[in-house]
Amino acid sequence: MSGRITCRFRSIQLSSPTTLATLVLCAALHAQSPAAPQDNSQTMRETGQQYKKGNALMSASDNRIMGREGMEASNLALQKSILNSKINTFIAFFNNPLAGTQFEQFLNAPAATSEAAKIYRERIDKIMDLLSSGNTTKENQDAAFVLLPKASEFESDANICTTIHDAVYAAANSRVEIRKLTELNEALEKQRKVAEFNLIQATRDRPLDANAPVDKNNVTNNNANQLLERQARTDPAKRELSSIGQTIEHNKVQIASSALQAKFQFQALILQLFVQRRYQHVIIANRFYRALFDDGDQSLQSFQLMADKLGYNKSAGQAKIMAQAAPNATGATAAGGARGANANAPANNSAPNAATGGGASNSGSGVPAGGGNGAGVGTSASTSDDDSGGATAGSLSGMQFGVENVSVESLMNAVSSGMKMASRTFKSLSQLDGLANEVIRDVNEGVKSYEFLLSQNEIEGATAQLVSVWSKGQYLPSVQLLTQDQKRRSLKFAQLVNKLISSGQSGNMDALTEAVAEIKKVANDFDDTEISANIRATKMASSMHIAQARIAASKGDLQTVQTEITRAAGIWPNNPELQTFSGDMSKLSEQADPRVRALSDFDQFYDQKNFRQIFDGIDKYAVAVATDTSASAGARRDKLEKVKARMQEIETSIMRAQEISKRDDYAGAWEGLEMTFQKYPDDMKLSQMRADLTTQAPDFVHDFRQAKSFEERKEFGSALAWYLRSQSRYPLSDLSKQGIQRVVKLIMPDAN
Amino acid sequence: MSRQKKSQGLPPWLIILLVVLAAAGGFYGLHQNGGDASLRTTEELDPAIYYENANSLRGNTYKIDAEIDSALGNSPTKGRLFSVNLRNAAKNGAPVILPVLVPMELGNLTIQKGQHYLMKVKVVEDGLLKVEEARKP
Repeated sequence: MSGRITCRFRSIQLSSPTTLATLVLCAALHAQSPAAPQDNSQTMRETGQQYKKGNALMSASDNRIMGREGMEASNLALQKSILNSKINTFIAFFNNPLAGTQFEQFLNAPAATSEAAKIYRERIDKIMDLLSSGNTTKENQDAAFVLLPKASEFESDANICTTIHDAVYAAANSRVEIRKLTELNEALEKQRKVAEFNLIQATRDRPLDANAPVDKNNVTNNNANQLLERQARTDPAKRELSSIGQTIEHNKVQIASSALQAKFQFQALILQLFVQRRYQHVIIANRFYRALFDDGDQSLQSFQLMADKLGYNKSAGQAKIMAQAAPNATGATAAGGARGANANAPANNSAPNAATGGGASNSGSGVPAGGGNGAGVGTSASTSDDDSGGATAGSLSGMQFGVENVSVESLMNAVSSGMKMASRTFKSLSQLDGLANEVIRDVNEGVKSYEFLLSQNEIEGATAQLVSVWSKGQYLPSVQLLTQDQKRRSLKFAQLVNKLISSGQSGNMDALTEAVAEIKKVANDFDDTEISANIRATKMASSMHIAQARIAASKGDLQTVQTEITRAAGIWPNNPELQTFSGDMSKLSEQADPRVRALSDFDQFYDQKNFRQIFDGIDKYAVAVATDTSASAGARRDKLEKVKARMQEIETSIMRAQEISKRDDYAGAWEGLEMTFQKYPDDMKLSQMRADLTTQAPDFVHDFRQAKSFEERKEFGSALAWYLRSQSRYPLSDLSKQGIQRVVKLIMPDAN
Repeated sequence: MSRQKKSQGLPPWLIILLVVLAAAGGFYGLHQNGGDASLRTTEELDPAIYYENANSLRGNTYKIDAEIDSALGNSPTKGRLFSVNLRNAAKNGAPVILPVLVPMELGNLTIQKGQHYLMKVKVVEDGLLKVEEARKP
């Protein structure tokens, strides 16, 4: 079996533009081409109107690309600052699907303070005490051996003590077998010596034989007969000696093999426990090993020999644990009707990407290009943004890892390689024992450090310590005894950091700022300098684009408005200035409506007391006010009536003055306007005509003004003289007459 | 010698009569010329200065040669207010018509439109001209 398992555990999503940005884009997409600018305000109005009405200036994909570019630029800077920060080490561990889940489970677990846990710890301590170097007696070893199954009754032990117990039992059996074989060999050796003696005896001639030949011919025959006889005598002895020798050698091999097997199994178990971070069990097993194999051989030579014997199948290749850090931005737009088609192509081919985008669905799972089976886990943005069913998917993958080329042969190769590596790393059991003790000490120190940092509210450092002690000694009592409250502070910190990262990825500056503030509140030692600087820079960049858009709007350059706003929204979608800008544009577009504009102008002119301007466009304003349905419609109607009455009076006065002046009665004309002017001094036309008539009747006007001036200064005698003089110049002057009457009344209140 | 003595003598009664007549004439003349003297020594009002700044003339007494224009008001406590045209018109030809107050003290004066009076006036508060003396020329 050959295959590949791919797991993409970190995927950075490119969020689609926010609602506001979409609105801005939609409006901009359909905007009209701008007219030649006249003046600034006019251009702004026109821009706003075009902005509202819409006219296609750029394709939707252009806008998306521009927005994405802005977003990516800001996001990457932010992500870089986040990933470069100290928290990255911790959060990478926390977000690892293999270790992270276990770690989160640990953070949420209560402290191991139950009675059972306490008894378990006591039994482990007792076993270690019984096997400690000062107490190594046969009785203590037996007592420790008996305690092993009892310690294994507890869940937290995971039956490891039973495994050790079985390993000790098996090793002990092996030793019995070896002893038996050794004894057997000793007996066989004795048999072999007897057989050898017998063989020697059998090979000897018998000179005193009664049938010994006496002549030459008989001697030859006799010698031949003796040879045959000797062979007949020695053959059984030889066979017996050979059989005994073979048995002895066989036993020797079996003895050696049994010893090697027993040692290998025990050493492998110790190494496995070490890898499992069961350091207390490592120490226990190691002490049992010393007791069982008291030949002084503490080396891991047996393990190394066994590993070497496993060999390596080169043709099978090697199973690989694959981990790749390949930031990879991918984006694809599936055209309408192309649902299910693979439309997601990686931008960087060096990073295998198992995500498959299709239509509006982008699950991120599929078949990779390699020869193995793959599974992708990740999130990808999928935004359906047109009616034809097209979709946009974007993802910024972070890291990938998995196992490649999984087969029996390759797995065996992996085991062989692992064993060789372990045997090269650890040369003796003493080394393992020392390392286990050192780790236990280190973890205990780390726990103390963690508790101190927590007390100082330095959560970032404390959490880093916790990760360290947990990864090294998850099962050690000091780690297990940490309380839930203590651990959950780190969990909260981890959640905030994840929020910080996701906020940074989404481009939501407000959420990011909030996350930074929350982390700062929780962790005194959190260094936000770079992140905050990047947030400020990003916000500033967005605002700068909006400023550019405003400038462009004032010039009537709607194309640039659209571009700058898209960029601003891409960088910081929730920028409040975007809403302000959009509001301004809407307001301008509304103002461009004739009726709304007339009402706006009416209000403006009325506030400025520019009633003449209203009167000049009275028809327009009358229609606008009459059709006004807003809340201020009533007030506007009242204002309009006042304006009408006023202007009617002024206009009548002007017309009358014009008529009078035609008769060369300039003083009379002036006097008529003067009376109206005193009531409405702010009408420009009235004022102008009054000024013109002043030059036509200067003496009368002068005398009257002098009189008025003295009257105001309460110099009534002088005022009366001037009034009399002006009246003498224009006897029909009503103003002079009124002035005289008024002053006389002041001089002589009781006059009749 | 006797003819020289006859031409020298006037009757005593004639001399006494002449003396009496001379004394009566002197008394009348003296009596009549006293009022003229008060107006004659009073400075004439300059209308231009008055119009320009009557306050600067306050407290001063002037004489005016005026013709009654119209009655402006009649107060039982303060007197009568008239407008008068000065006989001496302003140098620039502008009409000179001034208000004068005839106080209660001169209530016996019969004043009518068109009458010609020489008046002694005092510039009082508010620049008003208060008549102190008036007579027909």
